[in-house]
Amino acid sequence: MGPLSREAWAQRLGAFRASPSAFMAGADGEDLGRDLLSDLRSEKLSEQTKVSLLALSLEYPAQLWPDVPAAEAAATSLLDTMVLLPPRPSALRRPLLLAATTVLASGGVLGPTSGASCRLLPLLLGLASGGDVGRGFGPISEQRPLQATACECLRELESCKPGLLGGILGLLRSLLGQEGPIQPLSLLLALALRNTLVVQPRSGASLQGLLMAGVSSTGSGPWDWTLAEKGHSHLQPQAPCWPAAEEGACALAVLEPSPEEVRELRAAVAQLLDTSYLLTPVAQAQLLWLLGWALRGLRGQTPALFKPQLVRLLGTAQLTLLHAVLALKAAFGEALFTAQDEALLLRRLTLAAQHPALPLPTHLFYLHCLLSFPENCPLGPEGEEAAPLLLGPQLCRGLMPSLLHDPMVLLSRLHLLCLLCAEDEEEEKGQVQNPQWYLEELLAGLQQRAALDGGPRVLATLCFQASYLVASCLARQPMILTPLIQGLTQLYRARPVLAPHFVDLLDRVGPELEEPLRVVLQQEVVSRPGRDEALRWHLQMLAKVAERDAQSATLSFLQAAAAHCANWGLQQTLLRVCRVLLRGGGGPGLADLLQVLARQLEDPDGRDHARLYYILLAHLAGPKLGVALGPSLAAPALTSSLVAENQSFAAALIVQEAPAPIRLSVGPQKATGPLLVLQLQVEALEPVYSLELRFRVEGQLYAPLEAVHVPCLCPGRPAHPLFLPLQPRRPAPAQLEVRALYTTPTGITCHAHLPPLPVNFADLFLPFPQPPEGAQPGFFEGLWDSCLPKGAESRVWCPLGPQGLEALVSRHLEPFVMVAQPPTSYHIAIRLPPNSMLLLRLQAAQVDDGVPVALRTNDWAVLPLAGDYLRGLSVTE
Amino acid sequence: MAQRAVWLIRHEPGTPLCGTVRFSRRYPTVENRAKVFNGASYVPIPEDGPFLKALLFELRLLDDDKDFMECRDSCTHINKTSIYGLSIGNEELWPVVAFLKNGMVYASVPLVEQTLSPRPSLISISGISQGLELLFGIQDFLYSSQKNDTELNTKLSQLPNLLLQTCPFGTLLDTNLQNSVDNNNFASVSQPQKQPAWKAGTYKGKPQVSISITEKVKSMQYDKQDIADTWQVVGAVTCKCDLEGIMPNVTISLSLPTNGSPLQDILVHPCVTSLDSAILTSSSIDGVDDSAFSGPYKFPFSPPLESFSLCYYTSQVPVPPILGFYQMKEEEVQLKIKVNLKLHESVKNNFEFCEAHIPFYNRGPITQLEYKVSFGQLEVFREKSLLIWIIGQKFPKSMEISLSGTVTFGAKSHDKQPFDQICIGDTAYVKKKNVGSYHIAYSSELHFSILDYTLTGCYADQHSVQVFASGKPKISAHRKLVSSDYYIWNSKAPAPVTYGSLLP
Repeated sequence: MGPLSREAWAQRLGAFRASPSAFMAGADGEDLGRDLLSDLRSEKLSEQTKVSLLALSLEYPAQLWPDVPAAEAAATSLLDTMVLLPPRPSALRRPLLLAATTVLASGGVLGPTSGASCRLLPLLLGLASGGDVGRGFGPISEQRPLQATACECLRELESCKPGLLGGILGLLRSLLGQEGPIQPLSLLLALALRNTLVVQPRSGASLQGLLMAGVSSTGSGPWDWTLAEKGHSHLQPQAPCWPAAEEGACALAVLEPSPEEVRELRAAVAQLLDTSYLLTPVAQAQLLWLLGWALRGLRGQTPALFKPQLVRLLGTAQLTLLHAVLALKAAFGEALFTAQDEALLLRRLTLAAQHPALPLPTHLFYLHCLLSFPENCPLGPEGEEAAPLLLGPQLCRGLMPSLLHDPMVLLSRLHLLCLLCAEDEEEEKGQVQNPQWYLEELLAGLQQRAALDGGPRVLATLCFQASYLVASCLARQPMILTPLIQGLTQLYRARPVLAPHFVDLLDRVGPELEEPLRVVLQQEVVSRPGRDEALRWHLQMLAKVAERDAQSATLSFLQAAAAHCANWGLQQTLLRVCRVLLRGGGGPGLADLLQVLARQLEDPDGRDHARLYYILLAHLAGPKLGVALGPSLAAPALTSSLVAENQSFAAALIVQEAPAPIRLSVGPQKATGPLLVLQLQVEALEPVYSLELRFRVEGQLYAPLEAVHVPCLCPGRPAHPLFLPLQPRRPAPAQLEVRALYTTPTGITCHAHLPPLPVNFADLFLPFPQPPEGAQPGFFEGLWDSCLPKGAESRVWCPLGPQGLEALVSRHLEPFVMVAQPPTSYHIAIRLPPNSMLLLRLQAAQVDDGVPVALRTNDWAVLPLAGDYLRGLSVTE
Repeated sequence: MAQRAVWLIRHEPGTPLCGTVRFSRRYPTVENRAKVFNGASYVPIPEDGPFLKALLFELRLLDDDKDFMECRDSCTHINKTSIYGLSIGNEELWPVVAFLKNGMVYASVPLVEQTLSPRPSLISISGISQGLELLFGIQDFLYSSQKNDTELNTKLSQLPNLLLQTCPFGTLLDTNLQNSVDNNNFASVSQPQKQPAWKAGTYKGKPQVSISITEKVKSMQYDKQDIADTWQVVGAVTCKCDLEGIMPNVTISLSLPTNGSPLQDILVHPCVTSLDSAILTSSSIDGVDDSAFSGPYKFPFSPPLESFSLCYYTSQVPVPPILGFYQMKEEEVQLKIKVNLKLHESVKNNFEFCEAHIPFYNRGPITQLEYKVSFGQLEVFREKSLLIWIIGQKFPKSMEISLSGTVTFGAKSHDKQPFDQICIGDTAYVKKKNVGSYHIAYSSELHFSILDYTLTGCYADQHSVQVFASGKPKISAHRKLVSSDYYIWNSKAPAPVTYGSLLP
């Protein structure tokens, strides 16, 4: 594609600027960066158009050349373009330098391995030194502005990579002493000095060496990256000459330089300060911030160097200068400002915060500075706005708020007034002109303005913001709060449409104002006839202020109002109040009201809701009601109240699926009889209440199992074992399905599936009742004989562990031993409900590794289970 | 100290977006630093569209304040400075320096060189004052001599180039944008060192120094027993020094006549090289007594090329130049008004113009008027519900004039009639609790100007001006007194008072 015309470019740039992201996502986006670079060399485009192209690359390099190689290539191309410029004056050299710098610094390219960096840095330094850069670098008339621009570029690179210029401090100093442009060089030196002081302690370089290094060290040799490489990982905050920010960031640079270093440093700083009056005020301010920060970390450095500048600076009200003085004050405190100086600074600041010749944003900023004034001996907690000790009522007289002020001025001055009133609490009571009295008058005026019918919302907002400020600063002063509450009540009476503001205020203020205001507002609302045209607002208000224990006045107001709730919206607001009352558990009259509403409301939806509330009130206990109607936890993003409400009900009233809150296992069985009972161990993972465990067996092996109830379980608290009676229909092992139904501490009912519980064959064993002493052998033999012929007989080999037969029996079969001749012979009888039995004769054999078992049962189906059981005994040993 | 981005947004109420971005400039190198400094709390600069929307919402400049919106109208959403947090997407962009002036919103986002959570105090952020100063500079440039929209557009089109000069990398070099225009024109090979950065070049031509003192007098008059009237003089001294040499030194002395009122609250231009401590400490906080420093006030300085404000001051003169009362009462459908004005004998009775504006807020148009004036003429602006009493160049010999009459109004229509949030009725609402009946807290405002006169008596003696430069300059001095916020409140109703009015 050939070069675009001026118009085409204008259109393209316009489209890009309208929305860079949309443009880059479009078809044309990818080529923009490339086209821009190539058209910069086009001879068809005017310089004006090219400057606008460069302006784009100054603002959006990351979009045009998004990765490091692209940025490197772009910077190289920009430098090439500059070299190719004809040697006549051109408006492009400056923006090309700026653009190359921007692309390198913002593209993350700057470094010793970047070819473009290694070209740009010496070029900038050459230009900044005022030397001959050669290769037709423009006519001599352009050298001077380019020199300044090169300094600016170097300063930006140093800002982005602290320590970059550490190696040329000496050169910069000597340039400043010669004929360089004063402002760019001063600022460059100050920044490089400050960054060096931050980086130097870690690099180990000698400060003196850096400051004294001559011109020769820079020349054409390779750039010294050592300091920058060390500094890069810590872009250092510049601000923390502020005490509050000091701890973390400033700990890095407590230097203890040698006397020679101190001398050089002082000389450099003095050199900068002495000529600072030649800088523009904003640049002077930057210089002071930088030098203040640079010297702050140096132990034993008296900041007296700044003193000669201060008187001159205090006379102006130039915003940046006074701000810089405050920064010095914060940085050096008493070392630079005596108590008298502090008082003078405070006076000048107070004066500037109200001087009619200064614009409003400046007033506001100075007022902020007053309340954050860095005092020599601060008393209050750090970081909190407070009136400085020296700022007495006399000094503040001109800073009092008035209704004539702009809202922001009024609020900031009101804050000051509140702080004064808080201090003034003990003194001057009863005087007519004391600050409290004035505050009261002011609030009354604000309330009156907010009460104006049809007035803009901003007036109402202002009134409530002022009330909030007063309430939060002077919460403990009933002398102020009482009239405030009265005034607000009257405001509500005059303009119920402000109900949302009242609700907001009640939500935000502390109990000192909230409680009494709520009470009077409720009285105010319910004393109205229910057919007020502002009914909507009254109901909205009541939903906030209604007492939970439904007072009769509230109920009768609602009853009266119901007749006038003609539309759906009003009915919903009315029902919302009912809901609030329900949450508190409702009172005796509420059920009646809800029944009336369920009949009377015009809208079917309203009637349904009223009926639902009535049913809830009738069927749910108080706490559950509170949960059901409480704020919905589900789906907070939903805006529809109806949906939210339904969600809330669903959450509260529907049993919800949840992960298992407990762990259940079968405990050791104590086969005692006469009934079969499974012992369960339970462990709580979270608190659960009213736990009901339901069990089910597959295939009707057992009779239906009863649920087990536990009132409460808490994690970490030991739990009693649970007993589950089993009624097998056949003596067979089974899996029990377990479900838990319970209530969470928030009152929500949940159910959870627990892992299935295995009931083993051995868990079904019961002993026979013991026959009288001496009759056991006969009893056993009787049982033995009774098994046949209906039953079955078998012989199995039961392997023995190292413990031998006696141990095996005592461990597994102890309760069932009928006849024993330890250690060789045991007769064992096991009852298997409902009516099976298993009889074993164990007779120790000659060999040690097993015992032959003769077994009989009256139920042939038991045989395989018994066989498995016996063979498994030694394994479980 | 750097800015991450700058915007100018034209506020256009009534249009769908309520505004358009007229200029924006981003600084990507500063943005990179912000990313590092702010760390996890970093919020990127949004594109113009979302920024416009968020800013106008925050400044309440959208047309939709009908409903209560918590994120804007909540009582905790208190802004006490011109620095805002804008919610953009789910994040909050902070700090945004912004203010509205002459229908233009000026905004910038200063770099904060530390993490943003917890939020650092504004006073600790150097970029805040730099940002404000940049925006003031742009504002001065746009409105310095601009008359109409075409000129504004021309100036806006010059801005990108000017900022390339004065703020190439987001760090402001000079607030005086005009300077950089001149700088390009003046740039010469032979610029010596020690050329101040705030002075684009050197002047060549006839030396002359022009000094003009303009005093504005403000007043609040109540005509009440328990409320004191207040008045204050605010002076501005503007200089233009056309002198040869790199840094010519000039000293200007302001003097007062023997009974003159001392100058206080003196703020000087940064080019003033030294200040007497008496000037530095003379403050209105202390009140006036005989021991107060009464001049001469010496200001040694080295002037910039352009016209500049050498200093500002305030003063407390013993009496207001015109003392008046205003009585207004609502009687059935009519308003009865009576205005009385008296020029103090010490004041020069030779006005450039003098008129009293009597507006009626929150009412319908004037339908009927009967009046009597002892002097001058009355003009009626029926639709605007405004009376203007043109007094002219001189008060009569008695120095006292009066106006009385009755005014009747038509029905009020909300849109067209002037609405004022101060001049509403019913100030008695708190004490009388009679909501609904409107009393009147109206005022009349005086507009006047007197040439070659200052109320304090302050003057710049031409012989005391010292100039250390080649050639004897021609020195000219001008003086002027104008009124500004000169209100006379209706004494028949409560009026908004300032703290000063309540002191004994």
